[in-house]
Amino acid sequence: MSRVDLDHVWKIYPRGNVIGVKDLTFTCEDKEFLAILGPSGGGKSSTLRMLAGLEEITRGEILFDGKVVNHLGPAERNIALAFESYALYQRLSVYENIAFPLRAKGMKDAEVDQKVQSIAELLDLTPVLSKYPSSLAGGHQQRVSLARAFVRKPNVTLLDEPISHMDQRVRAELRARIRRLHNELGLTTVYVTHDQAEAISLCDRLAILHEAELQQIGTVEEIWNQPSNRFVAHFVGEPAMNFIGGQIETPQSVSVLTSEGRRVLKFMGEVNQKYVGSDIAVGIRPQQIKVSKTEKEEASIPGSVKVIEFQGEMTVLTMKLGDGVNSEVKAVLPTTEKYNTNETVWLHFDPDVIHLFHEEISILQRKGK
Amino acid sequence: MAGVRLEDVTKLYGRKTAVKNVSFACKEGEFFSIIGPTGAGKSTILKMIAGIEDVTSGKIHFNGRVVNDIPPQERNVSMAFESYNLYPHFNVYDNIAFPLRAPRWGLKMSEQEERRSVGEIADFLGIGELLDRLPQHLSGGQKQRVSLARALVRRPEVYLLDEPIAHLDARLKFSTQTLLKEFASKYRSTIIYVTHDYREALALSDRIVVLRSGLIEQEGTPEEVYNTPATDFVGALVGEPPMNLIDGQIVTRDGKTIFEAEGNFAIQIRDDVVESMKGVGGGQESGRTALRLGIRCQHITLGKQKISDSSFQLPVYAIAHEAESSIVSFELKDTFLHVRTREEKGLRDYSLSEMVWLDFDQDHMFFYNKTVDLSKA
Repeated sequence: MSRVDLDHVWKIYPRGNVIGVKDLTFTCEDKEFLAILGPSGGGKSSTLRMLAGLEEITRGEILFDGKVVNHLGPAERNIALAFESYALYQRLSVYENIAFPLRAKGMKDAEVDQKVQSIAELLDLTPVLSKYPSSLAGGHQQRVSLARAFVRKPNVTLLDEPISHMDQRVRAELRARIRRLHNELGLTTVYVTHDQAEAISLCDRLAILHEAELQQIGTVEEIWNQPSNRFVAHFVGEPAMNFIGGQIETPQSVSVLTSEGRRVLKFMGEVNQKYVGSDIAVGIRPQQIKVSKTEKEEASIPGSVKVIEFQGEMTVLTMKLGDGVNSEVKAVLPTTEKYNTNETVWLHFDPDVIHLFHEEISILQRKGK
Repeated sequence: MAGVRLEDVTKLYGRKTAVKNVSFACKEGEFFSIIGPTGAGKSTILKMIAGIEDVTSGKIHFNGRVVNDIPPQERNVSMAFESYNLYPHFNVYDNIAFPLRAPRWGLKMSEQEERRSVGEIADFLGIGELLDRLPQHLSGGQKQRVSLARALVRRPEVYLLDEPIAHLDARLKFSTQTLLKEFASKYRSTIIYVTHDYREALALSDRIVVLRSGLIEQEGTPEEVYNTPATDFVGALVGEPPMNLIDGQIVTRDGKTIFEAEGNFAIQIRDDVVESMKGVGGGQESGRTALRLGIRCQHITLGKQKISDSSFQLPVYAIAHEAESSIVSFELKDTFLHVRTREEKGLRDYSLSEMVWLDFDQDHMFFYNKTVDLSKA
């Protein structure tokens, strides 16, 4: 129904000249599910509020379907909003809560009824339409709040951490429901969150904001496999990406210091010749490290097991590589293999899972990119 | 270090029972966790061990000695509370050093020794830079780590930790959890740990008790609690997403045993698995045995083609990603069924509303009586 463009958008708060958002340019395509992800204070909320029309844009333009909406108020933008707090009218029934935005537009009763019934059906709310919000559980109330947001075919749906405080069962269910509604109603959805797992689970693409600036925008696979800088690499993924000090040997290899001397690792793709000899950080995701009990090949790195944490479906191993302060590495492994504290293990990094960062920026050029 | 044993411990507040006939033994050097939802009685148990709350009936033993009548200050325990309890007029250093100076423990540390002890634990927990600050100038997460450092600075007989990392943000929580485990194994400490977060309990503990409304629901190693939940309550408490629980009934057709639920849901149960269902089943509903099937999301396989004799079809409701896997959800009448798939292109393999074959790994299937309400959220 709608495409959203931000074109060099700035938000500067006059008091103290604080920059909330700096030169933000990105697009949320029609029917796309886009997450704005980042730590608190990174500019997420300012962006959301400017999209919603709750906050003035200092510079730049926001466009819905190619039309500038800077000057339009929240009501004129036809957006749907749902927040972490449900903000339901406690004195109105579930039915009237959902009908509220329709009645506000002066819609006729028959049409209101048809729309309320149809969204209620989709969200399994039909049996509770006559109840009052206070008699419903938290997850249930959030569903009413979502129904109210979606009932009037909005141009853009803005969701601000709508399920972050729910327990794991309700969260799993609401994730599925939100994703279903998005597809079924053909919505354009912008989802704001600080929770990277939440963003990954729901969205087609992620826009990562930090210190008021866009760090990277891309599909989940792009962000996962080709983070553009060390912040993004570290922020997305749990446990976080490991970083080990290393030195570029050739445009296709890097060496790292281990307890048994320097080991040379080959990586897929290449780095510019100018980095040869530079100190860099080798990044590797805990999920992509292979660990074995015997030394498999020359490039294996010895480590000593420090902490073993059982996580149900897998085990997280914290290992020490050498005597350096920053030589701790975590790996996520299947629970089938058992390890002991202080046991020596061998780590292996496949060439296609190695990331390289020089002064915070990714320097690795993968083929075809 | 000491072992701690609870023997038939009950706690009444007026006529309300907070803890009922709880018995467990935390061995010397063990990391022992108590998990359960809010109000299950976890903190009450910890306070009784500390001596802050009286025991209504039953006995608490430290190394075989009954301590019911020993006042808290003589029990030699270190405690960290969820509500930090820092001294507001002391800076971080003095807060952490406080237990080292208490005459009761007769440590008589030199200033140099004290400095080393405080500095060591503060650096370990990443708050070494904050030693001069007053609590009012700290964030919630920093206060919580100061409170934890104060509990860990001394070597008592038992550490009692009540949600000590609950208020840290996700990243810090995981890293502090790892540190805590490192600490426990380094000093072979006896630690009794209370949390509502099953992840912490699984990662940290040697053994776990699951508490429900003041009663023990299950006791076991983290592997036992996760892999073989004793009840539907434990299955629903542990795991992300939690164990799938499906209400249905057992029917026998042509000599085959079938588990049926509403909405075209039917699984033919393998003969050896039928054995495991004996004794389960909360009474008869319209002449059939009603029960609840439990299975974790990773023990269901999806396919475009029929996988085995007992596989069946459902339409895809929604698909959510995970870092290296995805969760495919199916809607049942009373609940949702979530399946974790690690197939490389799992996401692109299935589309919404497509009919997909599901196959349950019957070695990881459980049958329970219905004891928790699982209506849709």
